[in-house]
Amino acid sequence: MKRFLGPRSIRAHHVVTALVLLGLLALLLTGCATNTSQNTFDARGEVAKEQRDLFYMAMWPAIVVMVFVLAGLVVTLLRFRRRSPDELPKQVHGNNRLEIAWTIAPVIILMILAVPTVSAIFDLGRKPRSDALAVHVTGIQWAWQFEYSDITDSGGQPLSSLGDLHIPVGREIGLTITSKDVNHSFWVPKLAGKLDAIPGNTNVMWLKADEPGSFSGQCAEFCGLGHAGMKLTVIAQSQEDFDAWIKEKGGSPSGGQGASPTPTGGPGGR
Amino acid sequence: MAAITQPGRGTLGEALAGVRKAADSHYGILSWIATVDHKRIGIMYGVTAFVFFLFGGIEALFIRLQLAVPNGGVVDADQYNRIFTMHGTTMVFLVVMPLSAAFFNLMVPLLIGARDVAFPRMNAFSFWVFLAGGLFLNASFFTGDILNGELGAPDAGWFGYAPLTLKQFSPGHGLDFWAFGLLILGVSSMAAGFNFIVTILNMRAPGMTLFRMPLFVWMTLVTSFLIIFAMPVITVALFELLFDRLFDANFFNPAAGGNPLLWQHMFWLFGHPEVYILILPAMGIVSEILPTFSRKPLFGYPFVVFSGVAIGFMSWGVWAHHMYTTGLGSVANSAFGISTILIGVPTGVKIFNWMATLWGGSISLRTPLYFSVGFVGMFTIGGLSGVTHSIVPSDYQQQDTYYVVAHFHYVLFGGAILALFGGIYYWFPKFTGKLLSDGWGQVHFWLMLLGFNLTFFPMHILGLLGMPRRIYTYSEGNGWDLWNLMATVGAFTIAFSVLVFMVNVIVSLRRGKLSGNDPWDGRTLEWAISSPPPAYNFAEIPRVHARDEFWHQKYTEDEQGLPVPVAAAAPAPEDGEHEGGHGIHMPSPSFFPLLAAIGFPLIGLGVIYDYAIAAVGAVVLVVGLYGWALEPATEE
Repeated sequence: MKRFLGPRSIRAHHVVTALVLLGLLALLLTGCATNTSQNTFDARGEVAKEQRDLFYMAMWPAIVVMVFVLAGLVVTLLRFRRRSPDELPKQVHGNNRLEIAWTIAPVIILMILAVPTVSAIFDLGRKPRSDALAVHVTGIQWAWQFEYSDITDSGGQPLSSLGDLHIPVGREIGLTITSKDVNHSFWVPKLAGKLDAIPGNTNVMWLKADEPGSFSGQCAEFCGLGHAGMKLTVIAQSQEDFDAWIKEKGGSPSGGQGASPTPTGGPGGR
Repeated sequence: MAAITQPGRGTLGEALAGVRKAADSHYGILSWIATVDHKRIGIMYGVTAFVFFLFGGIEALFIRLQLAVPNGGVVDADQYNRIFTMHGTTMVFLVVMPLSAAFFNLMVPLLIGARDVAFPRMNAFSFWVFLAGGLFLNASFFTGDILNGELGAPDAGWFGYAPLTLKQFSPGHGLDFWAFGLLILGVSSMAAGFNFIVTILNMRAPGMTLFRMPLFVWMTLVTSFLIIFAMPVITVALFELLFDRLFDANFFNPAAGGNPLLWQHMFWLFGHPEVYILILPAMGIVSEILPTFSRKPLFGYPFVVFSGVAIGFMSWGVWAHHMYTTGLGSVANSAFGISTILIGVPTGVKIFNWMATLWGGSISLRTPLYFSVGFVGMFTIGGLSGVTHSIVPSDYQQQDTYYVVAHFHYVLFGGAILALFGGIYYWFPKFTGKLLSDGWGQVHFWLMLLGFNLTFFPMHILGLLGMPRRIYTYSEGNGWDLWNLMATVGAFTIAFSVLVFMVNVIVSLRRGKLSGNDPWDGRTLEWAISSPPPAYNFAEIPRVHARDEFWHQKYTEDEQGLPVPVAAAAPAPEDGEHEGGHGIHMPSPSFFPLLAAIGFPLIGLGVIYDYAIAAVGAVVLVVGLYGWALEPATEE
């Protein structure tokens, strides 16, 4: 080590920098492990799990490159620091073969990343299946309204709910998302990434909860004064509990539970 | 160069005396107001942008104070929204862009061996319009009842997504000031963009071929082209927004058949090239500093040039990666995901070339080098988190979270700002004749690097833990508390490092070590002339024989490629080039660019409040332009 780095010892601030970076990396890893309410690593639904796995696929190579570049910089500075004022190094102007290599190599690595990416885009961007439970989501300054398109309440209207979305575990939910006023973004980190609610447009997505639980989310597109408070909770429950909740709210299936969601316009999908 | 060399006039000495007299025809503050000297304009750009940097920094400290702990009570939601909008707008349009412009102004003529830019008065005009636009934008604060804590500033974010920007959702005049302010700043940028394209293409010294141009000049050229193509896009969008707000048009109003997504497309079609407008000049600065401080030429010059040009072109094909979650469809998301992945390639090429430049060099560990290496390291982290954004489905989670905030601060602060500080330490002696203290410079660097990472690294984690952007408060129990507190501590560390810098500048200006012409053993033409340079820069226009011309005047290479100092360091001037003498034809000072610039904010105020003011503004503008056009170019 000493010979490699040269005669002078490593300076204290280099050690400090390295320690700070290592410490931050360690903290990042502890961050992944915590079981907090909107932790994207703690995925509890099919969509969120696929998104998390894709993130890991990109994150680990990125960390490797980061460590390589940062360590490379520190080693270069220590090894090649000027030792006498009239030191003159060899004038190297470039090396075409080397440069072509480090142009092509990233292309290959990145193209490898692109394959599962595109595949996942189409998988997650497909229309909800025909047996999905259809829910129409409307962003309103500053609340979320959910309407079950295929379930009517006692007044004959679609059963609706403000702020809480009850869903049955294991069943695909087909969401059609729009807004009544400004842009919002529907996001429940543990179940699925976000999709914007844009007035005049309707976007479509699907999600699924793999286990019962209460999953919090909040508006992710800046929407004015109440943006920070525009929260929602998805309550995933067994089919029996879900049915009981519907009954309690006075709802009854209108078009049969298998009815497909009907997007009301726009190209839909992600 | 025909304008500069007029045969048949007195000797060189007489010509120089004449120029000095012309430059001294105004004194003190007036000499600055009327100046058309690119160096003075550059200094004014730099100082003004630095003052705005302090504004934007204070806004950032308010943001961090509010978010330091859960349920913070420093500002309320309304104040918070206005402050973060002004923070973003200020840092992009009033800090990083004009700081880059400061370096274009200061350095481009010196680096290409010219006496000034192609259009010196238009250059002054660019600066005054920038100042007018910046003041206009910040004047919006006072449209509210500011003494009672009601800020009048815009409140829809620097990205200003419709329909939140429409009158019905954002009453008050903040957004009118925002839109008009950005239009004014666009005029300034366009004028500067054209000026530098013409300067670089036409004013290079004899022998300075395109492939002998210093990298910073190349990056200025690419940036200028991006500016002149990108600004018109945002201009159209801003006009549509103003029409919606002021004249009840319906471009973005969905209730009347308008489409809010149109704004996002136009904003990001401008906004993504804008990102490269902010970063390419920084890359140029670093590409000058690294070779100088390692006494080695830039590794793979053509690769670095072409990767910069490639970034310029590709920047037009990635805008929708800001819009993955707007429902564009799988095909569009795939296309923009792949283009975003690919733009990482030329960026990576640059990083490897910078590292290879240092490798095998004789590295002088001085402040400019620390900032440049800091840039390479931090920009790498920002670039890598950028690659994770191109993994589109994963970005559905990260979009609009603090992960994105972390990403672009690594690029724009860890990238652009660190490089710009490096440039300040590097070229400060050229324009003041004094070196900034290296010891305090290193204190500044380490504090800033530490503060920066303390502030922004935890934001990656915050985003992944589900914290959205632009929320003015949050409750406990999300696992965000510690990271937010760290970020706030980091922000104040950055603020302290900026204070160190300011003290360093003030003390060094008074008592700094004299630098001489060439304190760093420089490679490019600016180090061949005195510090500070005379008004005319080069008594004789240099002849360029090589890339890194000045280095080759000082050193030759032996067979093994090792440099050998040239015995008589003084470069022999070219003989036989100036029989009959030179007239150095320098542009004369003018007040008309300033007058014309004053017209713009008046027109803005008039459109918002009362057309009579707009009429006055239009008259001022026209008088300014006519006076400028009819004023004799040189006092004889």
